[in-house]
Amino acid sequence: MLGGLFGRSERDPDDAESDGEQRSRPGGEQRLRTDGGATASASAGTDASILTRLRRSEFVESIPFWGPPAVLVGIFVYGAVAWNLVISLIGWDGLGQPEYTDFSLAAYEQLLVDPSFTSAFWNTLILLLVFTVLSLAVGLLLAILIDRGIRFENTFRTIYLLPMSLSFVVTAIFWAWMYNPRIGLINTALRGVGLDVLTTAWLSNPDVKLFAIIFALMWQFSGYCMVVYLAGLRAIPRDQYEAARIDGASTLRVYLRVIIPQLGASTMSAAVVLMVFALKAFDFLFVLFGVNPGQSADILSVMMYRVAFDRLQWSYGAAVATVLFAMALSVIGPYLYAQYRRGEL
Amino acid sequence: MARLELDSVTKRFGDGPDAVVAVDDVNVDIADGEFLVLVGPSGCGKSTTLRMVAGLETVTDGEVRLDGTRINERGPAERDIAMVFQSYALYPHMTVRGNMRFGLEESTDLDDEAIDERVEETAAMLDITELLDRKPGALSGGQRQRVALGRAIVREPAAFLMDEPLSNLDAKLRSQMRTELQQLQNDLDTTTVYVTHDQTEAMTMGDRIAILDAGELQQVATPLEAYHRPANRFVAGFIGEPSMNFVETTVEDGALTAGEGLVYPLAGDAADAVAGASAVTLGVRPEDVRVSADGDPADVASEHVFDATVDVVEPMGNENVVHLTLPNGPDLTATVDGLRQIADGTDARVGIPAKAIHLFDRDSGEALHNRSLDDAEMDAPNV
Repeated sequence: MLGGLFGRSERDPDDAESDGEQRSRPGGEQRLRTDGGATASASAGTDASILTRLRRSEFVESIPFWGPPAVLVGIFVYGAVAWNLVISLIGWDGLGQPEYTDFSLAAYEQLLVDPSFTSAFWNTLILLLVFTVLSLAVGLLLAILIDRGIRFENTFRTIYLLPMSLSFVVTAIFWAWMYNPRIGLINTALRGVGLDVLTTAWLSNPDVKLFAIIFALMWQFSGYCMVVYLAGLRAIPRDQYEAARIDGASTLRVYLRVIIPQLGASTMSAAVVLMVFALKAFDFLFVLFGVNPGQSADILSVMMYRVAFDRLQWSYGAAVATVLFAMALSVIGPYLYAQYRRGEL
Repeated sequence: MARLELDSVTKRFGDGPDAVVAVDDVNVDIADGEFLVLVGPSGCGKSTTLRMVAGLETVTDGEVRLDGTRINERGPAERDIAMVFQSYALYPHMTVRGNMRFGLEESTDLDDEAIDERVEETAAMLDITELLDRKPGALSGGQRQRVALGRAIVREPAAFLMDEPLSNLDAKLRSQMRTELQQLQNDLDTTTVYVTHDQTEAMTMGDRIAILDAGELQQVATPLEAYHRPANRFVAGFIGEPSMNFVETTVEDGALTAGEGLVYPLAGDAADAVAGASAVTLGVRPEDVRVSADGDPADVASEHVFDATVDVVEPMGNENVVHLTLPNGPDLTATVDGLRQIADGTDARVGIPAKAIHLFDRDSGEALHNRSLDDAEMDAPNV
């Protein structure tokens, strides 16, 4: 009975079908054993049969395979998350050891009134949305262009994807040069075509700073979106295009009404990756600005690092981290739920 | 309401000496309201021909005319045609209603009410009203097929183009849809070009059939004419199931000879047709081959009866397909009544009636002589 309970509780409902075949063999054996034992020790056999069932249950048998990774992930991921939550509640500052005595929400109350948290929070949201939407749009455009059977298709695909393979440290320095107000390529080019009015100190001007960062990140990530969309486009049969053309739709309308609506799954998976990245876009800003990007470009991940490791306000930093964690959950959660609804989990 | 003409239509893929000729100088004139079936083996160019009519492929040479107007340069949207695809190509993210509305929304100026009305009407005609709010993913193969038809019909085009629309259905549904499609085409009276590789569909559905092989048009004729008066050996072999028996023979002293086992004397028209020819293919349809287990088959002249051994009998229920070997001669296939008992390995007498034979030139494949239809109650071929 216990064995059956274990066996059932552990099993994922989706795996039931595939398990059925494997289950029948040990099950058959089991029945033979209990039949054999039933006449000899009907009264004394309960303990022994629980042990036998435990030993034979799939749950127990499979522990060596999923047990070690589950323990490691449990301690180092979920344990760390929980510990972070605890630290955010104990008001731990400076170089001393944490004392787990007073628990309070003081750090979170402080967040609500801290103007630098407010601006970092909004900047993170803006980065999240604008960066994601722009990268998806550019990626989709590139994917459609490449999917139209152009020459040197593979070359272009590689060129567009290449920035993705570079380290953020490299691209941050690279873009710092690009944005350099005096000798940077962007201002030089603008001056070259007589658009001097548009030149600015891209990474110092508080009005454009955040968007300069978003643009650089978009450059790096739109290639990834392109690859995801290209895979989605390749999965749509050619006759969808042909049927829509015969139905009288122009090329633009074919894409708007027939093709792009079918890319929902691609959009969703690319968007989740981009959003999660946007939340933890730490290294790019840290390389450009250090711990203090200024209020107009500050984001939560940089603020978290600054508060914890620069000002040694461990609990306050942990509170910022908890907010980031909640934001990441709110991105991943709906995605996982949608995947579950579609039966892919 | 449209007459569709293909005038010397040619399609070449690639340039220069590497070019592949997919369709070579095809001429077909399809009358208003006619149901023309384009049939041929895989890769014969039938789908390419259809796609040229649809505007999905450019025409390398020649002209496609709709009601006398050249439409080579028009895009698919401007041709007033509707197409049914083999895969149906329904838009998976739209409901059936959305699928049927799409063409009207994109190609006409009708207002929403008029579009709804047309969609409802067509859905009622095809008996798919209750499916209108479902998505294609939730439909069975047969239902999808109907929706694909509905999507074409609702637009009331000048011509329907159908690219093997029934090939994804199971055999039973296919024969049912075959009848239904014919009925529908009769009611709508819209010019239709139907592509298939299935000679049964070609025979049963078309007003006329156009047989293509290797990009070349072999014959355009009514189904019965193609069956009884094939223009060449390819058509004779392609149309009819089991296919026609072919025996490679040489002409010696007014008789066809194939080894020692088969010497077939010719007379009358047939003899005239082979005058001057030396290498001739003798063709005879399986149902015309007479098989008799005891004595000579009746109604066949004795010089046209041969000894044979029964190799294999395939019972089909309504008929038996009998595979025969002539000693020192060729193999023949015959179909006989399903109730006759014929055992494997027995000896039989085989008759090939003189009026049932077809003769083809062995080099060119052209028909020299076709069977006589004196005894047939057939309408004169209307060509």
